[in-house]
Order: sequence, then structure tokens, then C-alpha cells
Amino acid sequence: MNGNVGALLCCFSGVDGTSRGFFERKQSAKSNLDPVGGKKLEKIKQNPIIKKLGFNRIILFLILLLMYAVFSSVVKGFASMDRILSILNYVYFLGFLALGVTFVIATGGIDFSIGPVMFCCALMAGYTLNNYGMPVILCILMSILIGFLFGMFNGYLVAFVGVPPFIVSMASMNIAKGLGSVFTKTQSVSWPQAADEAGKGWYRNLVKYNGIPTGLILFAIAVVILFIVMNNTQAGRYILCLGSNKEAVRLSGVNVKKWQMSAYVICGLLVGIAAVFFVGAYTTVQPGLGDTYNNEAIASCVMGGTSMVGGLASIGGTVIGVFVISLLQEGIMALRMTKEVQMIITGLIVIIFVYADVSARRRKN
Amino acid sequence: MTKKKSIFTQEVIVGIIVIALYFIFRGISADFGKYTTFLTLTDISYYYVLMAIGVAFPLITGGVDLSIGTGLICYALAGGYLIRAFSWPTGLAILVSILFGVAIGLANGVLVSIMGLPPFLATLCTCMITRGLGSVVTGSFAVPWPTAKQDNGWFHAIFKMTIVTADGKMKFPLGLVWIILLMLVMQFVLAHTRFGRYTIAIGSNKEAAILSGINVKFYHVMVYAVSGLFAGLASIAYAAYVPTVQPGTGAGMELDAIGGAIVGGVSASGGYGTIYGTVLGAYVIMLLKQGLPYIGLNANMQQIITGFVLIGAVVIDIIKRRAIR
Amino acid sequence: MGDVNLNKADDVILTMKGIDKSFPGVHALDHVDLELRRGEVHALMGENGAGKSTLMKVLTGIYTKDSGSIWYEGREVEFHNTHEAQEAGIVIVHQELNMVGDLTVAQNIFIGREFKKGIMIDDKKMIRESRKLFDELKIDIDPKAKMSDLTVGKQQMCEIAKAISHKAKVIIFDEPSAALTEKEIEDLFSIIRDLRAQNLGIIYISHRMDEIKVITDRVTVMRDGAYVGTLITDQCTKEDIINMMVGRVIYEDPKTKSAVPADAPVVLKVEHLNAGKMVQDVSFELHKGEILGFSGLMGAGRTETARALFGADPKQSGDIYINGEKVEINSPEDAVKHGIGYLSEDRKRFGIVVQKSITENSTLATLDQYMSGMFINKAEERKITERYIDELSTKTPGPDQLVVNLSGGNQQKVVIAKWLVRNCDILIFDEPTRGIDVGAKNEIYKLMNRLAAEGKSIIMISSEMTEILRMSDRIVIMCEGRKTGEIRIEEATQEAIMDKATRDIK
Repeated sequence: MNGNVGALLCCFSGVDGTSRGFFERKQSAKSNLDPVGGKKLEKIKQNPIIKKLGFNRIILFLILLLMYAVFSSVVKGFASMDRILSILNYVYFLGFLALGVTFVIATGGIDFSIGPVMFCCALMAGYTLNNYGMPVILCILMSILIGFLFGMFNGYLVAFVGVPPFIVSMASMNIAKGLGSVFTKTQSVSWPQAADEAGKGWYRNLVKYNGIPTGLILFAIAVVILFIVMNNTQAGRYILCLGSNKEAVRLSGVNVKKWQMSAYVICGLLVGIAAVFFVGAYTTVQPGLGDTYNNEAIASCVMGGTSMVGGLASIGGTVIGVFVISLLQEGIMALRMTKEVQMIITGLIVIIFVYADVSARRRKN
Repeated sequence: MTKKKSIFTQEVIVGIIVIALYFIFRGISADFGKYTTFLTLTDISYYYVLMAIGVAFPLITGGVDLSIGTGLICYALAGGYLIRAFSWPTGLAILVSILFGVAIGLANGVLVSIMGLPPFLATLCTCMITRGLGSVVTGSFAVPWPTAKQDNGWFHAIFKMTIVTADGKMKFPLGLVWIILLMLVMQFVLAHTRFGRYTIAIGSNKEAAILSGINVKFYHVMVYAVSGLFAGLASIAYAAYVPTVQPGTGAGMELDAIGGAIVGGVSASGGYGTIYGTVLGAYVIMLLKQGLPYIGLNANMQQIITGFVLIGAVVIDIIKRRAIR
Repeated sequence: MGDVNLNKADDVILTMKGIDKSFPGVHALDHVDLELRRGEVHALMGENGAGKSTLMKVLTGIYTKDSGSIWYEGREVEFHNTHEAQEAGIVIVHQELNMVGDLTVAQNIFIGREFKKGIMIDDKKMIRESRKLFDELKIDIDPKAKMSDLTVGKQQMCEIAKAISHKAKVIIFDEPSAALTEKEIEDLFSIIRDLRAQNLGIIYISHRMDEIKVITDRVTVMRDGAYVGTLITDQCTKEDIINMMVGRVIYEDPKTKSAVPADAPVVLKVEHLNAGKMVQDVSFELHKGEILGFSGLMGAGRTETARALFGADPKQSGDIYINGEKVEINSPEDAVKHGIGYLSEDRKRFGIVVQKSITENSTLATLDQYMSGMFINKAEERKITERYIDELSTKTPGPDQLVVNLSGGNQQKVVIAKWLVRNCDILIFDEPTRGIDVGAKNEIYKLMNRLAAEGKSIIMISSEMTEILRMSDRIVIMCEGRKTGEIRIEEATQEAIMDKATRDIK
């Protein structure tokens, strides 16, 4: 099973050749300064396989494998199917969050309302399901719609009004938390537990069906679609370019406001979908929470080589980052340590990765 | 160059809003007007205002400090744990809490100023780390600080003093005096010391500051140290207010503090801000947070309102700047 | 200005010898020498990109030199930052203003060395001292005013006051007059004369030849990062200096006759364009196949006119006609739709997305045309990019190369390709050869001529007189936001243009 996951990951990072991670950039920076050593590095860079995969993603993937090996050897029974399914449960919703925020970070912005917004979606849709008897399919659509509306709200304020993204996400984080609490009268919401519950429980099959991780298939499809969106559509191209130099893109006659907003809208949609996978895996949601998932989603992006300054983003990298975080959280739990330990480790890892990115840039300039 | 200086600066407007909010709530709810409510309100306000004063400095440099909320809990846990587990004297524990805050602040400063990480991301990491550290230190247990009635609970009196008057005993919110004093001191620091001046310079034009021969790296680190220091102070105010400090909490408190500073006229892009504006802004957020239940609204409505108030404040700022241009 | 004893070699205060500095891909300084004496105003001249600013940045510690030595007051020195240089008495008045807009004038002048009273900053003393400085300089600025409220000229004066307040022994003026009015320049010169009388060494960087003759004692000329020579100002002519600066003949090739037929249709007509202070009532016409030069001094409002026309900045009023039809241009999007392309003077900020590939940059304005359904047709995109790499002979290993790795000239070609792919009929070239080496410059010129011959109409904004005279069919001259003249190439002379470019300065 693990092998399959690995192969899949390899393929994700493999196809993503447009964006570049920091290890690779470090190389090209050196090659500028040092023409002799540069030739050797140029050769490595020209190696088509390495060029396509990206150095940082290879290293991150090796870290992932190493972590898995360490946890498997330290924790008895870690390499079981149950564990893998449990890790995957975490991967789905965190994956959608992280992929969403990748688009926003690519524009040079930030969104840390995603965790609370996801909870807000799950709470409001779940409350409607339980109290007004709306069909599950409509509740799922409602969840995605709420995410979409938050995306519109954030995107409009950032792109058209010019409010700094940081302030906007702070505000919408508050709004999402408040809305979720007010709507549910500050009660936690449980979506239907049993998958076989007539007409209601089927949504859980989106995550797992007869022991088959259907969620992984859906997630893989989503990753492929988003990879194409990022690299092969107008939206992706303009999002990346405007993240790198917004004014140049504007002066090329492109409606930058529209495309900048679209990044937040894509993010919002994915947050709405993340909410569905969250309840699909865990069914219960509590109001007033969700902040930690922002941090984890942003951490995944940054690890995967998406630059906080904008303009460089890697869907494949984000996916590996999500697996690293999910594995870490499962491993820490298996070691009977608290979630808090995981946070410390995540925080330190992010510092290291961002510092590597920053110093690579600095050397280049 | 004609100068049009309206007396209705954002600070003045926010001041009026604070007073208006207080009296509106009083008018609607009889309970809100009670002296005990006033005492509770002031008690709660201290740590928010302290955090806001501290975070105003990174904000004025164009940065941010997201670690103050979880940091506050972490420092309060550490101090309380020393008293509980090792019977440290309260004074020493308080000192440790504050120094812990300064240390994390310095760490933020190094990450941002020396290592060049984006402030937002660096402090997000220390936010995660302090949140974790607090739990690790105490083994994930809640930590009660000594109560006011206990011998080593004297620190409560810093914030709320009991005065014996002719009519009997009366509680006096002494903390308000400290807050006002600290506000004046920090406003003075911002306006009349090198540190303050360079804080503004970094936020306004960092390159120019560097070219003027200012040790920008040093001052930039100190900006975050001040933010940490005030988070440390806030942790004491928090310990005096809550019966027990819960590990794993604190996320989101920094947003109220930052929101307060922004509402109080600190420019979201750096270069401008006042401490008295910050304090008033923090009181706006605080009053909304605490006052809504009194007038029969869900307390969580506050979060929604805060969100819109925040955006409103920034949008007004943007419109004003456009008008000048 | 013969009142300086030029033979007193022991009066040398500063010597720079064999200074060498390379940046990735650029040899910015190639063993440059410079000698400065006490009581001398020493001009440092050279075209854009000759390395003057880089040399001064090496001197003041902003850049570290690769090799060479700096001798100051008889000792070899090496400054690691501007602060050390200031302490030693070497101060630079920057070309780009280095002011903290949110602080007051006095606070800016004494930033980094505030007077203190205990822990408190003594603002009153700072204001007093600033007043004293301004009195000395005979300028009228309120030390309590907020810096961002001042005009650019006044800000420049503050910068000078700040430099003087450093008790400097060497002051470097980096194009100080660019933003000043004639009156302010006169003030500046009297200040400089005072300073010289106080036996200071002054390095004066400027492009304005007349000023050099008026104010300086000696001239050191640099070209393409190398030292060319030093002349005594009184003993040389303008032509001597120009010859040293240019040192080659390729520019000396002025167009003598317009290639545009008299009856060529008007493709673009701008009437009464107003946009802020820098664009006031500007009207002009552009004919098919014409290169219309826009000449003027720095800050004449040429770039602002182009940006307003292109919709990049808001305009207050004015009508724009394209091929006789009135059009509304409120954003670059509108302009591009109407077939206008704009090549900015600041390529890195406004022209290219440096972290992206040539392909991505080339199709930036035209992505709609390279879509098959929802997806970008990468094969087509690559084909068109390769075509223009060939056509413009862009030097690159391939279309996937990141633009950041290209030289200035090749980056410019990528920007040109972007608009050619878009098939724009009207192209605005804003300082098309700024920061581009000589060979590449020539190629850009050829390219522009070819485009014009193919029927494209070009507006070329240029601060280089030779470029204007060489390329334009007709020349529009601007001064302080107004159009002050229009000359056909047949009648154009440097003197005629300069006369109009300075006409309004009182």
C-alpha cells in the first residue's frame, strides 16, 4: 500500500516541471556566481529527470519515506492498513486546504481563515442537515457554496478594495468562527455516523468504501485537475505571474484584479470541499475551532516549495508536504505524545524550510 | 503647502466610539451599568490592552506578531507551574513569565530581522511552538495560579485593590492606572526615543533607515522583544483574571489585539500608529466582545462584528489615503 | 574656475585606485581610478550605466569592491556600510531620495544620530539645528513639516542639508539637479561654492553638460565601467567630454530625413491630455510608420504622458483617437485591446516577470490566443516564442530559459516580443536602451527601424539626445508636464531641442 502511495506521489511531483523549488534555485544562483562550479551544476540541472522532479521535492519525498521508516520501526504495528487509512483521513481535508491556500500564496497573498472557514462550512451544512432535513447532496453543495462565498469575499476585498490579505483573512477568520457558532447556537454538530444509514450516510463512502480508500482516488483526481489548472490554464498562468510581478502583468493588459480574486475563489471552493472530506472522515465538528489547520496547511505549502513571496508554487510539492504533516501527526499520536509536540516540530520544520528559501533568494540577489 | 489637520483623527473617533458603546450598552442593559460589571470588564481588558500595546510596535514596522496569544498562555503556564510544582515565590515566577515572553520575542526578532523570514510566517511558527511548549512544560495539565485569598496571591492586588472606606470595603480597578501609565510611557517611547523613531522609520522606509546608518537589524529585533515583553506582562494579567490557565488555548487572542491596534489607527502597512489609539481600539473590541451578551445578543456575534469592524477600519484608511493622493 | 591650485598633489583627500567590481553577468567596474582634492568640485561623467553610481556605492560601503584600494586622508580605508563612511566624513546625496516619509524634516535630517536629553530625543534642539542649517543654505523649509508633504525639490534640499550637517569632508552629489527648478539649482550652486571655499572635496555626478562647465574644476569620464580620463574643466570643451563619454561613432548617425511620407495616415491622436501635475494639456499626433521621439529633461512628464495614454495611471481629461475613432482608455487592458503596447523604462519592475520563462513572458499579453478550450496550448505558445527568439535574435539556450538569466538587451527583446506577438500597431518605447550594452543597443535601433518600415507606429521616449536624433522622424519636446515644441527631424538640432526642453525654466 505504501508503495502505491509512493508511486502516486512520485507521479505528482514528476509532472510538475514549470515551478521551481528552492533547492533548484539555490543551484542556479551558484552557477551565476561561480562559472567553473556552475558548469557541473548546470549538468545536474540539465539532467531531465532531476529537472522535472525538482530537487526540493525529491528531498522532501525522501524525508517522508525516512519518517515512515522511523515511525514503523519505533511504533509497533505502525505499518498497518488501519494506520494508513487514518493517515489518509487526515491527508484528504488537509490536502484540499493546502492546495487551496497554495493558489493564494502563489499570488503573494495569504489566507489563514481556511481552517475556521472549513469548520464554518461543515457546521452550517451539518446543522441544516440535522435540523431542517435537507438532503445530503444539497448539504454538500451548501458547504462548497459557503466556502466559495468566503473566497469571493476575501478575494474581492484583497483584489478590488486593496485591503492587505493578512487583515482580510483575520477578519474572515473571526466572521467564520462567529457565524459557525451563531448558526449552530454554539453546539457541536454531528453528521450521520453510519455509512449505511438510509439516504444520509452515503457521503461517508466518499472517503472509504468497503475498506477501499475512495477518498484517495478522489483526492488524486483533484490533484491532477488542480495541477492542470495551475500549469495549463489562464488562471494558473496569471496567478503565478502576478504573484511574481503584478505591475508587469497589469501593464500587459491583463485584468489582474479578476485573476487575483480568482485565486481566493479557487481556495474558497477547495475549503468547502475540504469540509466535506473532514466530516466524511470524522463526522463531528465543534464551533470556534479550526485555527491549527491553517498552520498545517500553510506549512505543507511552504515545505513543498511554494514561496511566501509569491510567483512560485508547486502542486506536487504541496501534496508531499501534506503527506509529511499527516504522517507526522499520526506518528506523534502513535508515540502517545500530544498534538502540541507535533506543532513544535511543524513550526521548526517550517522555519528551516523558509529560511532555506529566503537565503537562497538572498544569495541570488 | 497647506495643512489640513482635522481634530477628528482616527484616535479621537475611536475614543468617542468607546464612550458611545459603553453608554449604549448601559442604556440597554441595567446589569451592564453595575459597578461589578465594570470591574469584570476592566479585569478582562488588561491582558487584551497589554497585548495590543506590544503588538503595535511590530505592526508599525510593517510586520506582525502572531505569537502573542499562544505565547501569553505559554508564559502564564510556565509561571504558574513553577509556583505549583516547585513552590517558587510568586514574584520570581512572575519574573520568569515576563522573561519568557521577552525570550520568545527576541527569537521572533532574530527570525525576522537577522534571518529575514517574513514576519507573518516567522511568528506563525513561534505561535505553534509556544502553543506546544506550554503543554509540554505542564504535561498538558491546566495550571491554577494562587487565588487572591491565598498568601502568595498578592499579585491580584496589582490589578484590583481593596480599599476600606467609610461605607465598608470597596474594590478599585488599580490595573486601569497601570494601563494608563504604560500607555503614556509607551507613547512617549514611540514618539520621543530613538527606539520609537526607528520603529517608525523601519515601517516607513527601511532602506532609508539602513542608509542613514541606523543599526536596523538591532532595532528590528528589539521591536519584537517589546512585543514579547508585553505578551509576558499580559500573561500575568491573564493569570490574575482566570482561575486556571488551560494549555492549548490562546489562539485567536492575538487577532483581537491586532484588530484593536488596527482599529485604533495603526496603519496596516506600517509607518504610522499611536499607542493611545491602540489602547482605545483594543477597548472597542473588548467592549463588543463583553457587552453583546448583556444586550441579549449571542456572544459569538462579536466575532462577526469584529471582523467587519476591522475591515471597515482598514477600508476607511485606504479611502483616506486615496483622497490625499 | 581657475581658482584651485591643481598642482598641489598633497592636497589630495581621496584616491581610488584600480577599483574592480563584478556582478553576476556584468563587469560593472573595470579597474577605475579617481582622485579628489580638497577644495575641488570634481565631476564624474558618463552615460547611463557607465558605472558612476556603482563606483560611489563602492566608496561609501554599500558594495564591497572585488579589488583595488581606497586612500582617504593618507590612509587606506575600507568602509563596510554607509554609517562608517559618514563617520569618516564621506557623505552621499542620493539620486533616489532616501527619506522616511512619515517622519518630519528635522527628524529625517538627524536620523541615526539624534540629540538626546537623557533617554529622550531632544526634538527641540533638532528643530533648532535644522533651522540653522536651512538658514545657512538660505532655503525656506519648515523643519516640523512631514517629509512626505514636501515637493521633490524641497526633499532634495533636505537631503543636502542632511549631508552638510554630517561635518563632511567629502560630499558626493548624485544627480542632485535632476528634480530641481532653475532657482533651486542656483541655490544649490551657491551652496556648493561655499562648501568648496571651506576646502571640502566634492564629487558631482550629472548629465547636464552646462552645469559641469559652470560648477566643476575637473572632470573624470567613465565609459562602460572603465576609467577613460580626467580633464581640467577650463581647458576642455563640451565636445572633448562628449567624445570621451561616447568614444565611438555608432551614435553619430543622425537621421537627416524623415522616412514617413507626408500623407501617411494619423493612427493616434491625443488631444488635451491631463493627468496630475506632470501631464498638462498634452496633444500630439502619431502617423503610420513613424518614430515619434519624446525628448525632454528628467521629470519633464514624458513617462507620465505615456502611462496616462496607456491607461496605467488615471487621467483627468483628454481625448484619444485611434485611426480617427475616439476610444476610451481607462486601463492597460483597454489600451492593449486598441493595439497599443508599452515598453516601460523600468523593465524589471514593469516590463517582465523575471522569475518566469521567456515563453510565459512572450504570451503574457496574448494568452487568450493560445488557448485550446480551457487549456493553454503549450506547443503553439512555444512555436511563436521560438519564432520571435529567431526574429529578434534573442540570445538564449531556449524558450524555457528564465528571463532573470538574460542580459538587459535580451530582456528588452522579450518585452518587445510580447507586444509583437500581440501584433500591436502602436508601440511606446520608454527609454528602450536604458541599461543595455552598446552592441545590443544597435540591434534594438535596427529593430525599431524595421518595425516602422513594416508600418508600425512608434513613440520613443528617450533622454539620450543622440538616440532622439538618430531614431526619430519627428520630435515632441516636453518640459515640466507641458508640450513645449514639436520639430521635424530635418530641422532638429541639439540646440533647438534643448532650447525648448528648458524654455519654461525661469
